[in-house]
Amino acid sequence: MNEGTDVMKKKLMLLAAFLLTGIFLLAACSEKNNAETGTKTEGETPSGTEGKTEEKAEVKDPVELMMYSWRPEDREAYEKFIKEFEDQNPGITVTFKPYKSTEYGTILTNALTAGQGPDIIQLRPYDGATSIIDAEYVVPLDDIEGINDISDEYLTAARGSDGKVYGVPLSLNAGVIFYNKDVFEEHGFDLPTTWDELLKVGEEMKAKSIVPIAQAGKAAYLLSLTHSVIGATSYDQSYIDDLLSGKADLSDERFVESVKRMEQLEGLFPKDFIALDDKDTQALFYTNQAAMYINGSYRLETFENTNPDMNIGILPSFASEKGGETPLVTWVDGSYAVVKASKHQEEAKKFMEFMASKEFGQMFSDDLARISAIPGVEPKHELVKEMTELGEKNPTPYLMLVYLGGGSPTTKTTFENALQGLYIKELTVDGVIEESQKSMDKWFEPMN
Amino acid sequence: MVLKEQEVVEVQEKVLPKPTKNKRSMKRHFLHLFLLPALIFYVGFQVYPILTAFVNSFYSFKGMVRQDFIGLENFIRLFTEEPYNTIFTNAFGHNVIYFIGTVVTKLVLAFALALLINSKIKGREFFKAIFFMPKLLSVIVVGFLFSLILNPTNGALNSFLKMVGLAEWAHPWLGDPKTALYTIILVNSWYGIGFAILIFLAGLQAIPEEIYEAAKIDGASGLKMLLQITIPMAMPSIMIMTILTFIGSFETFELVFAMQGSSGGPYYSTDVLALFFYRLAFGSVDGGDAIGLGSALAVVLFLIICTATAISLFFFKRKEIEQ
Repeated sequence: MNEGTDVMKKKLMLLAAFLLTGIFLLAACSEKNNAETGTKTEGETPSGTEGKTEEKAEVKDPVELMMYSWRPEDREAYEKFIKEFEDQNPGITVTFKPYKSTEYGTILTNALTAGQGPDIIQLRPYDGATSIIDAEYVVPLDDIEGINDISDEYLTAARGSDGKVYGVPLSLNAGVIFYNKDVFEEHGFDLPTTWDELLKVGEEMKAKSIVPIAQAGKAAYLLSLTHSVIGATSYDQSYIDDLLSGKADLSDERFVESVKRMEQLEGLFPKDFIALDDKDTQALFYTNQAAMYINGSYRLETFENTNPDMNIGILPSFASEKGGETPLVTWVDGSYAVVKASKHQEEAKKFMEFMASKEFGQMFSDDLARISAIPGVEPKHELVKEMTELGEKNPTPYLMLVYLGGGSPTTKTTFENALQGLYIKELTVDGVIEESQKSMDKWFEPMN
Repeated sequence: MVLKEQEVVEVQEKVLPKPTKNKRSMKRHFLHLFLLPALIFYVGFQVYPILTAFVNSFYSFKGMVRQDFIGLENFIRLFTEEPYNTIFTNAFGHNVIYFIGTVVTKLVLAFALALLINSKIKGREFFKAIFFMPKLLSVIVVGFLFSLILNPTNGALNSFLKMVGLAEWAHPWLGDPKTALYTIILVNSWYGIGFAILIFLAGLQAIPEEIYEAAKIDGASGLKMLLQITIPMAMPSIMIMTILTFIGSFETFELVFAMQGSSGGPYYSTDVLALFFYRLAFGSVDGGDAIGLGSALAVVLFLIICTATAISLFFFKRKEIEQ
């Protein structure tokens, strides 16, 4: 009797397991079917009236575009821009999906390699874009409306090796020295305009327990950004031309001087800055513990969101001598491109045209306090307006990003890590130059 | 007529339907089907990526696209070309330090604590739970929390040192290359000590009490019992933990990444092989083209772990047999 019950039990269990597996398989299959005919199912009328069915059948299925970005902080503004686009283009919906900047590269690589996911992606500028473009993951955008109005200098950041444009550049970034006007006024510090004045006022600030420059060093990229701003007046356009044509290298006195300046700056940075995050130093700046802060113009929005009452001014760079030039370091931040594997390329291109329009550029500049790459945009924000004017009057490129982003690891990465080495006394100025030059020698080919 | 037990069995065998061999094997095969989902996941997420990395290591890449078969060139470049060889040697050295440091701080301490807990102290369950608790957190969360605690300006540790009058001990723990790696090792030990204690406790509890009693009658001291009974008899658990620590030390990624970023800063002072691999294979979007090199490194890492694990298993097994 017992044996019989056991056999029954086993049979029942097997049957239950079989049924469960069957249910899972059926569920999986039906989900697939739904996905395949998803829009059709949505189009069917629940009420079953014939007239309504016909009416719905006439409406084109809505197209959903997925857009990847590395700017989670801009989500609100993008949702506003997207709504504007959707109102103008019924039948197309766009989903803005941002990822943390440091994780974006990996997520994008995986999505592109898998051949599924986004329809529109944000491309890193210059060499970062070229590797994706040359791997044929995105489509050329030369034919879209508005793209040819954008300055060629900006389009360079989104060109492939074949010379075609693959991305709509959104904004121009500027590397600037932010200064806290209240701290300067309260302590009676003179605003430095030259390198020597900076060193002098820096000592006065230290004497009053004010951190002269709120610099973080944990993320090495911040060091090369600061270098571009500080070095902009130790090397000029003639050096960049010489470097690109192969007449000069990184051991040139003009470049060495820029690294020496970085070494000198250590005394003006916060204590143990090499272990500080950018967020730590931002806090020093907007709590009036530091007088200056060097970073990209995109930080303006961060400061205004965190401390709207803060009285901020900007300096483009420190002149080598009184009355000398103070160029503004600029570079294209990134661009948006259409993925080749996308099933909705036409709709995605429509969105690209929207992004290349003056209307979008104006909204972008107003809502995000950034310099738009679209011509004819008039910034409302006073500081953005000032940066735009400075950039038009006397721009200089972010040397490491624009021209030395090649190699594996890139020369830019090698250089900024070597700067960390300089600050922890593992390397000398010559060591930084030597390490960076070695990296450059491996891939750099002088232009004619 | 009364049947004997043997006869009853014989009658039963004749009368009752006997499951045929075929039916039995079908049932067994049917049961195998239940392993299929797990097997598919294992192949899809473990075996396939390993094989892909192995294949990729013999190819050149342009961006993310596989190009030509280049034989062992990626491996040769990894070991002979600057800066890959320097970064590899540096990171490998850090992995070795990570392993030794973890053995010294985590395993030795965990064994001592397991001995204490095993000595029937009051509240042993409470201590077991307390020591195991960090393991419930995600490694990334632990890394983030300790980055905050160790922050040189407003971190809890330096603030505490200043508060108790030890301001001169305050230090940029993660910003000084002399302390950064050791700090991460200590955090890792804090995180994983509970698990090691549990394994050691299981090993200690399996030692029969009579052996200690006999040793006591023979006049053995506490230290002698530890060295000649406890440690040799707990050797299987020590072996497991040493091997797991080795694998963990050479695979370590999340904690260093969360605390120091992908370059293992400052200036590669906390760089490890898994971070180097990450930069090579996934840094490509930012301009590199080193998926092939990254795959070669992954294969090397796989071989290092496999070889070292096999050698230590062989060594420990031989020791067990000798005993």
